[in-house]
Amino acid sequence: MKKTPSIISLSNISKEYVMGDESVFSALSEVNLEIHKGEYSAIVGPSGSGKSTLMHIIGLLDKPTRGKVIINGHDTARLDDDQTSKVRNQFVGFVFQQFNLLNKLTIKENVLLPVTYSREKLDFDPEKRALGLLEKFGILSKKDSYPNKISGGQQQRVAIARALIMNPQLILADEPTGNLDTKTGNEILKLFEDLNKEGITVLLVTHESDIAARTNRQIKVLDGKIVEKYND
Amino acid sequence: MTNLMVIKQLYMAAFADFRRDKVRTGLTSLGITIGVLSVVLLIALGLGLKNYISQQFENMGANLIMIMPGSGFSSGTMGAGMIGSGMVEFDEKDARDLQKIPNLKYVVPLFFKSTVISSADAEKIGYIMAANEDLFPLLNVQAEYGEIWGKTEINKKSKVAVIGAIMAEDLFENPSDAIGKTVRVEGVRLKIIGVGKKIGDPEQDKALFIPYTTAYGSINPNKTFWSIYLGVPSKDMVPGVSEAAKEILLKRYDKDKFNVSEQSEILSTVDQIFGIINIVLIAIGSISLLVGGIGIMNIMYATVTERTREVGIRRAIGATKRDILLQFLSESTLLSVFGGLIGLLLATGIVLLVRIWFPVALNVVAVIVAIGVSSAIGIFFGVSPAKKAANLSPIDAIRYE
Repeated sequence: MKKTPSIISLSNISKEYVMGDESVFSALSEVNLEIHKGEYSAIVGPSGSGKSTLMHIIGLLDKPTRGKVIINGHDTARLDDDQTSKVRNQFVGFVFQQFNLLNKLTIKENVLLPVTYSREKLDFDPEKRALGLLEKFGILSKKDSYPNKISGGQQQRVAIARALIMNPQLILADEPTGNLDTKTGNEILKLFEDLNKEGITVLLVTHESDIAARTNRQIKVLDGKIVEKYND
Repeated sequence: MTNLMVIKQLYMAAFADFRRDKVRTGLTSLGITIGVLSVVLLIALGLGLKNYISQQFENMGANLIMIMPGSGFSSGTMGAGMIGSGMVEFDEKDARDLQKIPNLKYVVPLFFKSTVISSADAEKIGYIMAANEDLFPLLNVQAEYGEIWGKTEINKKSKVAVIGAIMAEDLFENPSDAIGKTVRVEGVRLKIIGVGKKIGDPEQDKALFIPYTTAYGSINPNKTFWSIYLGVPSKDMVPGVSEAAKEILLKRYDKDKFNVSEQSEILSTVDQIFGIINIVLIAIGSISLLVGGIGIMNIMYATVTERTREVGIRRAIGATKRDILLQFLSESTLLSVFGGLIGLLLATGIVLLVRIWFPVALNVVAVIVAIGVSSAIGIFFGVSPAKKAANLSPIDAIRYE
């Protein structure tokens, strides 16, 4: 694979939790990882391996105990809450296994929700973009429905549209097909592949190696460590 | 997005939530509704009482100055015991001197005595009130039967009297029978030409009103007066006239031998008393507002817990801590203001209804306080739950089941 500039760079990342009996559980230890612009990769590992923790740290949902997270050359350790929130709002788009849509908002409102939290003038018309994304994913007719009225596959498409609305550089998808049947799961994966072809960096987190195998690079995580690297 | 749009969106989202759970919204707001209702009603009641009492005083003569013997307003109650006890006794010269003050409507020198009044068949203890014809407007005495006497009767020293309603009943059973009858007081025979309307004042209803000139003789041999009343056309002239009266009287009497008091002094005392009563009433009403506020806090805590996952999702897509704080604060404020407005509406309705019987009043201050306090409560009691929501760790919140 052709080398492109790295948009994420983790160096010596460790994450430890103090357990109830005051023993320390190490979820990640000394992880080094670079994600390059335009990559389509998967963090793969069994449950409890630390792959979700890794994704949360990359997406600034969680902070490492030690180590540096560099995004586009900037150290994120010094960012305050407002700046961290801005990175989550503009740089990254999350897709979750549980879809995590707000049931009280319509499909269109869900897709537009990140726009609510943007403090800057946008260079696109959010409404038009939202409807464009819904059309692209074949769910435009559902724009005024509520999430609990549509199928799981449709909900995940809404979640992806929401992740894309702010034009992020990186899509982080945590077990995006985990709650879907194989056929729908394949459609969603196809969608990620298409997005990647459009130039968006996509990072999947999965415990299924056959799903990981569909990506260009598999980052294998075991017991809080990256054990092998592919395509590097 | 501009801040204004964000706030608008927050309120719209809060409204949407309330619509979804009408019962909870209603019950939560009910506490504030009851609080605001009780505060506004208690203020209205306090104001009503104050107005009622003030009205009573004003009926007695709004623009009235009383000149009495003694050094203070409290030392002189209308009683015959005062007379001849070494106090100042005013005379006709005082009345004439006071008459010279400009801007006077009337001067009423009053001779007052408790005595036995007898008819052909009965004897009763009552009061003699001897004065000029302005006594009737001063005391609000109107003739129920017959008529009242005037200047002519004073000039002629006519032996006529207007009798108080209760005295008329006591002496003649049927008050209308009193007209034309004769009563005897201190050896003087007086013809009754009028019966006063009952006004509920025991002294006036049991009095015999006679021309002051008629009293000169065996009833008032010293030709003295117990008090002098000055009527002034308008309230703002009271202080000036009162000063002028003091100056005139100081020429004849020592400063501590007489006392010039105004109705407005009594009114200001009434104001002070009701000021305190109002504060006490507001304090009592505030307890229910406090309870309502705690109710809101309780529900907001429950809401935050219920919506932990929502907070996590919002944080993941870019909401700052401040965004989350504002979201929950706007909800608690809306709940509280909503409750407050309903309370205000109910209070207004009740006040308008009660007004038919009693002069309760709703004032602007009460309305502003009600709305201000309910929003303040929403913010105050909403801060703690909202902070809890804002400080949730995004990753823990999003995993919350």
